[in-house]
Formats: sequence, structure tokens, C-alpha cells
Amino acid sequence: MFSARGARAKVLVANRGEIAVRIVRALREMDIRSVAVFSDADRGSLHVRLADEAAHLGAAPATESYLNIERILAAAKKHEVDAIHPGYGFLSENALFAEACENAGIIFIGPPKEAIRRLGSKTAARALAKEVNVPVVPGSEEPATHLDHARELARSIGYPVLLKAAAGGGGKGMRRVDKESDLEAAVRDASSEAERAFHNSEVYIEKVIENPRHIEIQIVGDPYGNLVHLGERECSLQRRHQKVIEECPSPLVARNPEMRDSMGEAALRVARAVGYYNLGTVEFLADNEGNFYFLEVNTRLQVEHPVTELVSGLDLVQLQLKIAAGEALPFAQEDIHWNGWAMECRICAEDPENQFFPSPGKIVQLREPSGPGIRLDSGVYPGWTIPLEYDPLLAKLVAWAPDRKAAIHRLLRALREYSITGVDTNVGFFREILKDSRFVEGHLDTNFIADYFARRGAKAAPEPEYERIAAVAVAAHSAREQKAPANGKQESSRWLIGGRNEQLR
Amino acid sequence: MSLQVLINEQPVDIDAELLKTGVQVEPGVYSILVNGKSFEVRVFPTPQGWTVQVDGVRYAAEVRDPRNSSRRSKAARGAGRQNINAPMPGKVIRVLVHEGATVETGQGLVVVEAMKMQNEMKASRPGRVVEIRVRDGDTVGSGETLVVLE
Repeated sequence: MFSARGARAKVLVANRGEIAVRIVRALREMDIRSVAVFSDADRGSLHVRLADEAAHLGAAPATESYLNIERILAAAKKHEVDAIHPGYGFLSENALFAEACENAGIIFIGPPKEAIRRLGSKTAARALAKEVNVPVVPGSEEPATHLDHARELARSIGYPVLLKAAAGGGGKGMRRVDKESDLEAAVRDASSEAERAFHNSEVYIEKVIENPRHIEIQIVGDPYGNLVHLGERECSLQRRHQKVIEECPSPLVARNPEMRDSMGEAALRVARAVGYYNLGTVEFLADNEGNFYFLEVNTRLQVEHPVTELVSGLDLVQLQLKIAAGEALPFAQEDIHWNGWAMECRICAEDPENQFFPSPGKIVQLREPSGPGIRLDSGVYPGWTIPLEYDPLLAKLVAWAPDRKAAIHRLLRALREYSITGVDTNVGFFREILKDSRFVEGHLDTNFIADYFARRGAKAAPEPEYERIAAVAVAAHSAREQKAPANGKQESSRWLIGGRNEQLR
Repeated sequence: MSLQVLINEQPVDIDAELLKTGVQVEPGVYSILVNGKSFEVRVFPTPQGWTVQVDGVRYAAEVRDPRNSSRRSKAARGAGRQNINAPMPGKVIRVLVHEGATVETGQGLVVVEAMKMQNEMKASRPGRVVEIRVRDGDTVGSGETLVVLE
């Protein structure tokens, strides 16, 4: 593989956290050497510990490290790598980076740069989808150039409308506007947010599809014209446009099996139109009648790729590497089969009881779940300090089971085993959601979580004996700490239990 | 001989017999068997005392010496002035109130950005803004006071 030099192949992973770990694992399984890169904040991170080689990039801010094309290419040259895997986020959808790799004689593991460029602009991608008869949400083809233009566009589309950053993703620069009097402020906020996030303040306007579901199609292709889809994922559980739970199959598609073919075909039409190859995801909004509308194409590996892997039996990262090395796709559409159900929870350092406020800090204790049907893609370990410069994703907990109900039970079991202390996490929140009857019945839409908080009311009271149990543990622990304070920890004089330890033992 | 522990500020009495039901199985992790039921409890220090976690439910805990139980009265910590502090290091995006303003429970006071997320610090009870200690664009450290309410 990548055998031009005759030596053992080597790939640089231009990313961090759990996805860098995931890619390093694939490389090791394929007997390819891995090169991790890291910022000042990540010297001790898991991806650096697991890789064969590692290169320092710079200071913690992403612009000095994981977004810095020059430094990443310098590291790639120094370590003499054959190829670079960009992961997701950071430079993964940056056509200039793909081009810079190519110019440096290094393979960019991803789609051709022209495809990234053409699909990178949401307005251009929409226009392209329309050309190949893929339905799109009614909206403006061109960004709104000024406020009057925006007003005119919004009026012709009809309220409520959604403002979206032309260069956007992840909900940045996105605003719902219900009436014209709110438009001016929303345009201002959305443009400035888009400018800050993407250095491009352009926004365009779309009709709001009420209570939509988010369903996306995984595609994969080679440079020789072979292109297939690997089915759908449903990612309707979102918070502020960030996915929270993903699953394959989609409960909606499971009820309407013909949707998989029609959405898959639509996704492939868009991909063919730009000569796409390697891995990609075509995102759609769908309503409960089974209508679907093209949203955008993510020209990279997705965070939620494991659910597709578990159901299709394919290793998508290994496929990416093989395609980048020039191999042809080893299967055709009719060879793809879907078996069972997979569901993923994004475990984040955040506090669900305080508006999901991020919670960086040091992980004190960690017990990770395992056992039948559980896959954990994690980027952390006990003692690791989660930096505040990057997003708060710690790990992805994925369960596979023969059907959806069993997958939910398996996830609940694993979440009960999962324990992370020192930082707040959303583990407890997932335990609630997965027991919610509407979730269990598969009635999902992108407003599910907001609605859930509105209807759940007061939290169910925990078992009354828990308080006593907690008191026993803290009494025992503080007595023990009093006797042998841990290194570097402040003396617990303020608990003033000194002489009583003897009597308590 | 008994020891008093405050769990979420409520006193729970522990005697030596009850204390024997727990063994430390990992640093800060206790296995507790009560009436034949098995529990796993995690204890870790916080600036205020301890956080205890039982089956995913978290409690704030303090261990108290009965001789000094009157030392810290509730009033000293409760009503009166309230500091709204930054829960983590970040950047002030916007101050939403002005000094002297009357605020309702849940009203946004300051927007702080950290870990690529903007978050509104809200008033946890009604009051009046007596002091604003930050400005738009300021960098704040963990625990730093942003706004003082009365």
C-alpha cells in the first residue's frame, strides 16, 4: 500500500481526540505506520500515546496547530509520510489543504479537491442537486446580498425561514426567523457568526420544514467510476444543530423501506455529478410522509460512521485508505447488506442540567463499558485534562443488537457501567432519553431534545436510600484522606474530623 | 459515636456500624453492601467539599464535626449578595445587563464562550445587578466573578 517508496507505508493523521485514535487503530491493523500531530495542549493525549510517531505543531489554538496547513505539511515532510488523513472537522473539508497536499507530493485521503470545492458552498451544492433532479428545500439559490434583498427573498419563500451560512456547518450562522420584524437582527447575528466561524459572512435563506428528521446517506466510491451507497443513518436527535444520538437503520426508513433506495439513488446522482470518490455523506431532511430534501454533502469521514460500520460489516476508515492507495472498490451495490441495528451516543464533557455548558477539566476516574455488542471509540483516559480549546466530545458509545429495542437496552446497560468523574458529562442525560417512550417508539425529529426538556417536568427523584449510601462513602473517604492525604492535595483540615478517625474505623 | 454528613445540604447521620458496609475498591471508588444490595459510589474532591456519585446521581457532600455544627450557619451562605462566577475559563462575548438593573430568575446576564460554545450565565433568583466586573471581549478565569446580584 502507498508502495511508491518501497518502504513500509506511513500516514499522518491531521487531527486529534477520538477520531485520531480511530484512524491510528485502522492504520495499525493494516500494518501502516502512523504519525500523530499535536498542539501544546495535547502533548499527553491518547492519540499521541498510541501512534508510532508524533510531531508537535504549535500552540493550543487550532489556527496555530490543527488548522495550520503549513505546519502540518512541514511535519508530513519531516516524517516522510505517503499520505495524510484529515479526519473530520479542522482541515477535512478544505480544498486548499487537499491541493497543498497534492502539490507536496502527498496523498490526501479524501475526495478530489474539485469535488470538495464544488460541494463546499451550500448554495452551489443546492444548485447542483436541483440539476440532477434531487429535491431541495425551497430557498434562495444566491446568498442574500443586503437586508432588502434578504427581505425580498424571505417574502418570496414565505415565513418561517431559516438563515444559513453559505460556508457553514454545525449550526454556526444559522437562525430561524418567524416574522419579518425579526429578520434584520437575525441577518446581522447570522452574518457576524458566519464571518467569525468561516471568514465568510454570506447567508442564504431557506424555508423551514417543520419537525423534520435528519437522515443521511453514506456513499463510497473509487476513482474508476464505481460508486455505491451504504444505506442511511438517522441523526434527528440534535441539540443546537449538533448531533447527539445517531442510528442505522433509520426508524422512518425501516417503516418505509423504499426510502433507502430512493434516497441512496439521489445521493449517488449528486456524487456522480462531481466525479466523487472516497467516502462522503449526503444529508437530507425528511418528513414523516417520506418526502426528503437535499441538505448538503459532507466530503469526509463522519463522526457517526461507526453505526454504519456495525450494520454493514465494513471498516470505512480502512476503505478510505485502500481507495486513496489506488485500489478499486472491493464490492458492488448488490453486495451491500444491512444486518441488525446500531445506535451511537456522543459522550461529551458538558452539563445537561446547566444548558449543556461545556465542562473541561481533569478526568479523575474512568470506568469504560464493554461486553457484548458494545463499541467505545474514546479519546480520553483517567488523569487526562480535557483542553478547553477544542470541542467537548470525549467518546462515542455505540451498541449493536439484532433490533432497535435490543440496541437501546444494550446502550442503557453500557451507560450504567460507564462512569466518568472529575468533569460533567451527558451520560446521565442519555440514560433518561433512551427510556423516553417517544424515543423508544422512534418518533424522532430535530426538535426532540428541546421538546423533551419542555415536557419532562421535574426530574424523577432518585432512590431515597442513595443519600445514605452517598453519606457512607464520603464519610469513609474523608476519614481515609485525613490519614493519608494524596500527594499535592490540600490538607482536609476544614473537615475537622481529626481525632474521630480512630473511633470510626 | 456518630458523624454528620451533609448531602445536598441535608444532614445525614452515619454511625460506625453503617460505615463498615463500605470498602474502597479503587481510589475514590467504594463498594457498599446494605441489606444485601450492592452499590458502587464514587467520591472526588471539589473546592467546596466532595462530590459523590451513586448510580449516576450526583450529590454535593460535606463532612461535619458535630462539635462545630453551628460554625457555618445557612444564612451566611444563603440570601444577600450573590456572585455570578465563570464556571470555566473563557471569553466574555456580551454583557446583557447594566448596573442597577432588576433581573428575573433565569434572565441572561453574561454570554461566555468556551470550547466553541456560547453560553448564557443566568440569574438563579430575582435580584438587582449591583456590580458588573467584566466587559465584552474580556478573558475570564474559572471561578472569576462576572456579576454581583443583590
